[in-house]
Amino acid sequence: MPRYSEVLAPAGGKVLMLGNVAIARGFLEAGVQFVAAYPGTPSTEVVEALAAAARRLGGRPYVEWSVNEKVALEAALGAAITGVRAVAVMKHVGLNVAADPFFSSAYLGVEGALVVVSADDPWMWSSQNEQDNRWYGLHAYVPVVEPTGPQDAKEAAKLALEYSARYKRPFLLRSTTRISHTRVPVETGAIPVEELEPRGDFSKNPARWTLIPQYARMHRLELLEAWDRLRRELAGFPLNRVEGSGPVAVVAPGLGYRYAREAVKLLGAEDEVTIYAVATPVPLPEPLAEKILSHDMVLVVEEGDPIVEIQLKTMAVEVDARTRILGKRGAQGLLPRHGELGLEKVAAALAKVLGRELPAWTRGERREPGVKLPPRPPVLCAGCPYRSFFYALRRAANKLRLRPVYSGDIGCYSLGILPPFEVQDIIVDMGASIGSGSGMAHTLTGGGRVVVAIIGDSTFYHSGVTALMNAVYNQSPLLVVVLDNHTTAMTGHQPHPGVGVDAEGRAAPEIRVEEVARGIGVEKILVSDAFDIRDSEAKLIEALRYTIETRKPAVVVARGACILVALQQARRRGIKPPTYYVDPEKCTACGICYKAFNCPAIQRGEDGKAVIDPALCTGCAECVQVCPFDAFKPSQEPPEEWTVIMRTAKPA
Amino acid sequence: MARALNLVVTGVGGQGLITLSSIVARAALRRGVDALVAETHGLSQRGGTVIVHVRLGDVDAPLVPPGGADAILAMELIEAVRYLGYLRPGGTVVLNDYLVPPPLPGIETPSASSLLDAIRRRAGRIVIVPATRKALELGDARVANMVLLGAALEAGVFNGFIDAAAVEEAIRESWPKAAEVNLAALRAGRALAKSS
Ligand code: SF4
Ligand code: SF4
Repeated sequence: MPRYSEVLAPAGGKVLMLGNVAIARGFLEAGVQFVAAYPGTPSTEVVEALAAAARRLGGRPYVEWSVNEKVALEAALGAAITGVRAVAVMKHVGLNVAADPFFSSAYLGVEGALVVVSADDPWMWSSQNEQDNRWYGLHAYVPVVEPTGPQDAKEAAKLALEYSARYKRPFLLRSTTRISHTRVPVETGAIPVEELEPRGDFSKNPARWTLIPQYARMHRLELLEAWDRLRRELAGFPLNRVEGSGPVAVVAPGLGYRYAREAVKLLGAEDEVTIYAVATPVPLPEPLAEKILSHDMVLVVEEGDPIVEIQLKTMAVEVDARTRILGKRGAQGLLPRHGELGLEKVAAALAKVLGRELPAWTRGERREPGVKLPPRPPVLCAGCPYRSFFYALRRAANKLRLRPVYSGDIGCYSLGILPPFEVQDIIVDMGASIGSGSGMAHTLTGGGRVVVAIIGDSTFYHSGVTALMNAVYNQSPLLVVVLDNHTTAMTGHQPHPGVGVDAEGRAAPEIRVEEVARGIGVEKILVSDAFDIRDSEAKLIEALRYTIETRKPAVVVARGACILVALQQARRRGIKPPTYYVDPEKCTACGICYKAFNCPAIQRGEDGKAVIDPALCTGCAECVQVCPFDAFKPSQEPPEEWTVIMRTAKPA
Repeated sequence: MARALNLVVTGVGGQGLITLSSIVARAALRRGVDALVAETHGLSQRGGTVIVHVRLGDVDAPLVPPGGADAILAMELIEAVRYLGYLRPGGTVVLNDYLVPPPLPGIETPSASSLLDAIRRRAGRIVIVPATRKALELGDARVANMVLLGAALEAGVFNGFIDAAAVEEAIRESWPKAAEVNLAALRAGRALAKSS
């Protein structure tokens, strides 16, 4: 099945979809016309699915991968100002990047519709923090819609876009990992294909569309008024519902509802509770809050920070309610303030509130397995060009007797943090390798100290470019390494401005890293073959010497395809990469390949000699360059095309 | 508990765990059984530990609670043990006889036999098949997941929820062009489980 074909499944069926794909489907059913995004786990598939739909529907809706979240949101806002139904999609930390236009969008409002999707990542499965972006709704006065589980993600997306069009205000759709990345059967509705075509218009009206102080003050007053209106009217949002009529109120925003509902069933407490499913946590609708506060006892179950709990407690003070409100805050905090919810946690909290015995299984007698398990962090793939490049980087630093500080960034290369490479000493946020690295370069003293900033191609376009400009302007003596594998690898291989393809698969201009660097004013730029250890090492030595001697920034672009993309294209073209094996006669058990190079396909055999797991070997031939004894041999002569694909493959 | 089937599917990133879980969910859907498959993407694709929660039947929440899994389907021995705490007392473990040492220098890897002992101490029943070896025999390491799924079917893990025919239909639906090698793997898994 072509990827994401389910997003266009015929209406009236029940189809298995990832939560993110269901969100995409909801937008299509609501007639979305414009989509802009920067990929980020766990949000990416929303836009991959919409791009797949656009490809099959002749470019309807318009879909783009923007260079970063700020630009994506600005683009979507621009489209919405022209009367179009637009969405901008990002992961939670992406909204930090886009915060500026987000706040402005609340003041301006829209002519068409604007929904910003934020996929939050509690417990940081693939993120640098676990922020709850419903705060942004409170902070910026943007109403938040939250699906009550993956089961109604489609409906929530559809309603968010419709409500935005109705109120002419931006809405925030907040998802979380377990909504975005859970597959569920979804009932499909009709997609108004004709309406997906973006047809915008604009008439001049500076009072409405410009935020100079004079007009902004007026917008501020309107915004507060609209907020009060929403506080009343969102009570009628169709996914807000009340179940049961027991004395204890269980208030369950978003995914919390699914845990609460199942916990109630497990405890057989249906008669004792009233469940309030809340799909509009911000602003918490007043009529709903009033009903909730008529109970004596309330338990709030929410994924993330106690956003609804705080609003409820505030309101309780305002109306002088005597209700006991329990959740994550206070000495009585029944639910943990970090990580994800779980059935066992919610059932335990509910049992306590109801004065019940805990069901035996929630006590989770987590017996020790009786064997010591090694950790298994994610590692660079077998055949990743970053591995051979990092190997060259370590060698170059050793040869020059340097003690580099490796300023890291967000991408697959973050995995360079692990031994044996350990080439990520700080990791802050997207683009910070160059930004923070150039700060360090001004302050680090001492022999052999030099800053090496390591950034991927997609991250470079996202926010490395401005930081590099800053480094040139302020003459920071650092080496910037741009790892260019022609794709945004970590999020699943989206194209970016360097790839030559756009989100809908059409040919696009190709913006090259080295040309950007040259244009910015970097004087020393070298391009190396990331798969070729000698070539990379020589260029790194040259660039490091330059930076140390001239006290100016230098750039090395390390080029080589993500091996996963290369393998996929080889398969498509019927080219079979070789696998490698170890000649036991030649192997001296020196261990370099599995200790200092560490390809996951190479393991230490019983006698200390290397063995290759053929199920894992990708045929990259990096090990051949590493072994001093020439012990690695290909199973078959590597086809010429394969060595080319390894270096040039791009997502199609 | 309500009528539900809770499974934990585990292994190393890249072993086709999400695909295996999706096939189960599609098969369930074909039989009118509700399904939830919660997976963790992103970094875990790169050879890290992976856990997928699969819940069938009358379920709301996406995650299987610790001690609540009826069965664990594991593509790798270390990862099977890592998530043993999810298994309910007396639950079943369906296991690929395959050990991948984590590729970190200087890390000690437990022996296969000590891992198997740990599983035996906790599981009510174990079904072990050489899924990866079988898949390589079939010419494609990637179908090891279907060998394991076949073994789980034969072991009766899905009884009362989905049947073999539903799984085969789901495989055909998912790979209109590459169904055969996957079906062969599924059948091989069933045969292996029968004789184990
Ligand atoms: S996905 Fe690509 S870039 Fe990322 S670690 Fe694997 S081979 Fe390297
Ligand atoms: S064993 Fe050698 S050829 Fe195979 S993936 Fe590892 S480094 Fe590449």
